[in-house]
Amino acid sequence: MANPIMKQLFSDGDTILIEGPLRSGQCVTFDGNVVVRGDVNAGAEIVASGHVLVFGALRGMVHGGACGMESASVLALSLLPTQLRIAGHITCPPQGYYEHAGHKPEIARLADGKVVIEEFLA
Amino acid sequence: MLDFLRKWFDKDHKSKAVAKERLRLVLVQDRIDTRSESLETLKNDLITVIGRHMAIDTTAMDVTLRKDGEQVAIVANIPVLSNQTNLMTEEK
Amino acid sequence: MGEVIVITSGKGGVGKTTATANIGTALAQMGKKVVLLDTDIGLRNLDVVMGLENRIVYDLVDVAEKRCRLKQALIKDKKLDTLFLLPAAQTRDKTAITQADMTKITSKLREEYDYVLIDCPAGIEQGFKNAIAGADRAVVVTTPEVSAVRDADRIIGLLEAAGLKDPKVIINRIRPDMVRKGEMMDIGDILEILSVELVGIVADDEEIVISTNRGEPVAKNDFSIAGKCFRNIARRFNGENVPFMNREFHVSFWQKLRSVFVK
Repeated sequence: MANPIMKQLFSDGDTILIEGPLRSGQCVTFDGNVVVRGDVNAGAEIVASGHVLVFGALRGMVHGGACGMESASVLALSLLPTQLRIAGHITCPPQGYYEHAGHKPEIARLADGKVVIEEFLA
Repeated sequence: MLDFLRKWFDKDHKSKAVAKERLRLVLVQDRIDTRSESLETLKNDLITVIGRHMAIDTTAMDVTLRKDGEQVAIVANIPVLSNQTNLMTEEK
Repeated sequence: MGEVIVITSGKGGVGKTTATANIGTALAQMGKKVVLLDTDIGLRNLDVVMGLENRIVYDLVDVAEKRCRLKQALIKDKKLDTLFLLPAAQTRDKTAITQADMTKITSKLREEYDYVLIDCPAGIEQGFKNAIAGADRAVVVTTPEVSAVRDADRIIGLLEAAGLKDPKVIINRIRPDMVRKGEMMDIGDILEILSVELVGIVADDEEIVISTNRGEPVAKNDFSIAGKCFRNIARRFNGENVPFMNREFHVSFWQKLRSVFVK
């Protein structure tokens, strides 16, 4: 029902900038990179063929490199997704993840065939 | 302690009893209302069936539900047009 | 010209009907002319909470299908002269009226009343769409539980998409003891996720069950904690800046004792 492109702030073909918060049930699908200014709430989804950057809390489902780009990354100020996918790899947060996570900016990428999350230091 | 005092002074007007009674009444009403919806269908069916046996005045026909305490009865008033019937001579 | 406010939640059972009944009652107690509109066709409840279930002759669908005039369907509250109820139909379902019907009815009501409070059914389908059709603004009710907040978030998204910007939120059934123990999300947690403005907090109160049993909204009860919370929400609806205090959750010992003797 909700058209997230209404919240589109900017697009130059490769990258789209969306005004958050993205709410439960809203879905952004884009062939390129997706940047969200604000939170992505649980129940919201981002599916991007490129990278995903969330300038806020990422609490929903995110799929970077959705067309197979294994170099895609997912970055958030607060990385607390319900599910995180990069290219063909799907991961869920392990038990106890949420208790300690989300307090600093983090980036998720593929390394050695696995999704790894590290602190993002600019 | 306060709950105990409350029970002491409020024995006869426990809200649970009020709730049960209201619920009972509202459900009876709801069930009647549901049947009212099918009254129109019932009326049309009656017109069809009775019309096969005798001519009736469908404009003056009345089918209602009467509530008598908790009992519900269908009350139908169906005026018969005197001519075309072979049942008129039989006193029922 | 009055205001048409829809009270919604997404999730069922969080307290929309109770909130509608009580905020409406409190506004009427302040002298405002209020209509409560039940749009939960097929599962009506606002009439029961208000204690007016025996006085229903016509309902919302009768008005929409022109079997009666709008005035004929409005039921006056037992005690408050400026409070009215337009009940939902019980034997039909949510396809019985359209958004156009709702817009027409709310426009008419807006002319005569200060507040039209619409009790929205749970869900996001036709019932919800009908309920928001004539509304000027929206209030979302949620409880401090994961499923409720998630549904509230969904609803806020749909409200914004439908043009009802800046919905406010009421957080219902707060248990300060559980919040203190860290076993219940607090107001800050919820607002952080929902990113909307708070218009009220209502403490969990046994008096709500009793008041529904009796059909007497708790806003009429001076000794109920929840009643006080709803009265404060009504004041905020009316533009008053009522601060959120911990005192919202404290009814003094003497008040409680009095409530035993005075009924």
